[in-house]
Amino acid sequence: MVHILGVLLPDTQLAKFALTHFYGIGHKTAHRLCARVQIHETCKVRDLTSNQITALTAFLSSPSTQPSLPRYTLATSNYVPPRVGEPVPENAATITSADGAPVKESLGDRLRNIKIESELRREIRENIAHQRMIGSYVGRRHAMGLPVRGQNTQTNAKTAKKLNRVERY
Amino acid sequence: MVPTAVALSGRSAWKGPFFVAFPNLRQALENNVPITTKARSCTILPNFVGLRFLVHNGKDFVPVTISQDMVGHKLGEFSITKKRFTYRATKNK
Repeated sequence: MVHILGVLLPDTQLAKFALTHFYGIGHKTAHRLCARVQIHETCKVRDLTSNQITALTAFLSSPSTQPSLPRYTLATSNYVPPRVGEPVPENAATITSADGAPVKESLGDRLRNIKIESELRREIRENIAHQRMIGSYVGRRHAMGLPVRGQNTQTNAKTAKKLNRVERY
Repeated sequence: MVPTAVALSGRSAWKGPFFVAFPNLRQALENNVPITTKARSCTILPNFVGLRFLVHNGKDFVPVTISQDMVGHKLGEFSITKKRFTYRATKNK
């Protein structure tokens, strides 16, 4: 059994499915997260190394402050690889883009914007409170515990009656 | 909540928010006269703040006073169209 930030991940599950135990992480995000900390597809939670668990914990504790993934450019057309046996030049480790500028941070790193657990719950609560405060239709429906988006209410509407209220969590 | 995101959610950004140009806007702000309108789908713009509107709900015009927090929402959100059922013993009342 692995605890990450107070969430219990079951040993026997695949890591990519176990991560969905977090509030705010679905299959898609879990998949991206696994790719990021280099957990392979069929890795189960009990097979995770301590490094991977540390990396997951570090990432999930504050996704927004994590370093952005560097974007590696492809080799240019005039690139000549070093000959076999020749030592690799020192600066090969620092990859530069075509015009020699250092690699920029990738812009499409959406994983840094995720909100999980209490942070996400707070955001939802704030959004509902905002609607209620300005007195819009959405806010009223939340206060009445009824569906917000025009669903029927003569029967059913069970989810709305269970969830819709001003103080949801 | 970001108001612009509300205004543009699901709508192409290049179009900007949908709104109706009220010809009597300045006059209404000066004289504090409510603007009577049926344009429920009009987005509340920042220059509407402090105005009073009478927004049609299908039957009559509901008074709405615009505050800063309402910017980005639609006028129709503040004028409810549904009436709560209340039982009456006799019809002729």
